[in-house]
Amino acid sequence: MIEAVELTKAYRTVRAVDGLSFTAQPGRVSGFLGLNGSGKTTTLRMLLGLTRPTSGVALINGKPFGALTHPSRQVGAVLEQGISHPGQSGRAHLIAQAMLAGASRARVDLLLEQVGLTDAATHRTGDYSLGMRQRLAVATALLGEPPVLILDEPANGLDPEGIAWLRQLLRDHAQAGGTVLISSHLLAELAHLIDDVVIIAKGQVRRATPLAELYGTAAQRLRVRGRDPQRLWRAFESAGGKVTTDDQALEVVGLSAEAAGEIAFAAGVPLYELTIDTPNLERIFLDLAAG
Amino acid sequence: MITLVRSELYRMATIRSSWVSISLFGAVAAAFGMLDAYWWALFVGIGAFGISVLTVAQHYQHRTIALLYLARPRRLSVLIAQVITTVAVAWCFAAVTGIAVVIKGGDRPYLHTLIVVPVMAAFGTAAAAIVRRSSWLFFGFAAWFVFVEGLAGQLKWPLPISSYLNAAGGDAFGLEVFVGWAVVALAVAVLTLARDLTAD
Repeated sequence: MIEAVELTKAYRTVRAVDGLSFTAQPGRVSGFLGLNGSGKTTTLRMLLGLTRPTSGVALINGKPFGALTHPSRQVGAVLEQGISHPGQSGRAHLIAQAMLAGASRARVDLLLEQVGLTDAATHRTGDYSLGMRQRLAVATALLGEPPVLILDEPANGLDPEGIAWLRQLLRDHAQAGGTVLISSHLLAELAHLIDDVVIIAKGQVRRATPLAELYGTAAQRLRVRGRDPQRLWRAFESAGGKVTTDDQALEVVGLSAEAAGEIAFAAGVPLYELTIDTPNLERIFLDLAAG
Repeated sequence: MITLVRSELYRMATIRSSWVSISLFGAVAAAFGMLDAYWWALFVGIGAFGISVLTVAQHYQHRTIALLYLARPRRLSVLIAQVITTVAVAWCFAAVTGIAVVIKGGDRPYLHTLIVVPVMAAFGTAAAAIVRRSSWLFFGFAAWFVFVEGLAGQLKWPLPISSYLNAAGGDAFGLEVFVGWAVVALAVAVLTLARDLTAD
């Protein structure tokens, strides 16, 4: 389990992370979302002991990262855009890390195969594409077979096949009882992967909840197009709906599709379109992050 | 600790630019050894400093230090392992490149240099752990050596490189002074180890 308790990081007058508290549970994939500069990376680095918190505690399986015995066997991390020395081959990089993680060379070869880098294993990582570096970073994180995975933008540079592979890998990891905390700006992809979501803005938690609950509480929005938008707008508002427009159609909150159809019929306005705009992670995230 | 040292040695051995640089600089040092033991000692000292700085600062430059700390969060252990690694490599570097000095009968400067080279490696490792940028260290080292210790101090002031050269020449006091400088550098490195690792 990953726990952040009142985690704060202040740089002189700026509070990059401000009293952040959340947990990521075993058996679940938790998404960690925030706009650029919201404090995501700083938080992940505090969890991993690379940055010292000004106050608060970051715990992995009940202990600060620095107090873990055999940390490589407890936590695997993907940071930045795949870290490696550009002059070292992918295989040599993994072997050097495997020595520290107590993993065998057979595990190195297995992981190279698993991440699809067997053919490029002897090439310099400086010649790798961003996607290949990310695959190498994932392999590095998995060396010690850790139950906890912390991944900062791991899908950056991956092609659709790579993203699908990563999604399956993380789902399988959580299904086997592992804990996954992942930050990504690919929200549509993330929505297919995560069970829980932590949304932060300006260093503070805006929402930490299961994804299903987040969708449940999001207001259902209707998209309505008709012959006379002005008349429809007035009719929906007088029935208690909240109406906005994207210049193409009316967006109505607070009314069911059935009620909207009846209101339009009663107002004598023919409808060209009446659809339920199901809540999506991107919209909810933008609403919360901007709030 | 042994695992950390093994990992660092493996890393050095598998980065072509590292061993190519060491080999080329070693050839230059060995060539100077054929001419004069004093010049050989100077080049070996610079080589030991360079090996240490590259070994440590490259971790910061390519951010692999984060992977090292993720595997070994106790940073003091990492620093000690890096000191052991650089001392071992620098000593071998000096021992091999100085063969010409021994052949020419310079047994004593050879032995004195082999004693002080590990101190230079420890000094360089500490400096790199403090500064974290190899280019700053190399430019700083060159400027310091030429302007401060060379032109201003005429290599007579009890400063690091002058003390190293005195120690390599067999001066016991020079060795003591240089060990003092290395201890101070290591102390500062230990005190500043807990600094945050930045993401860029």
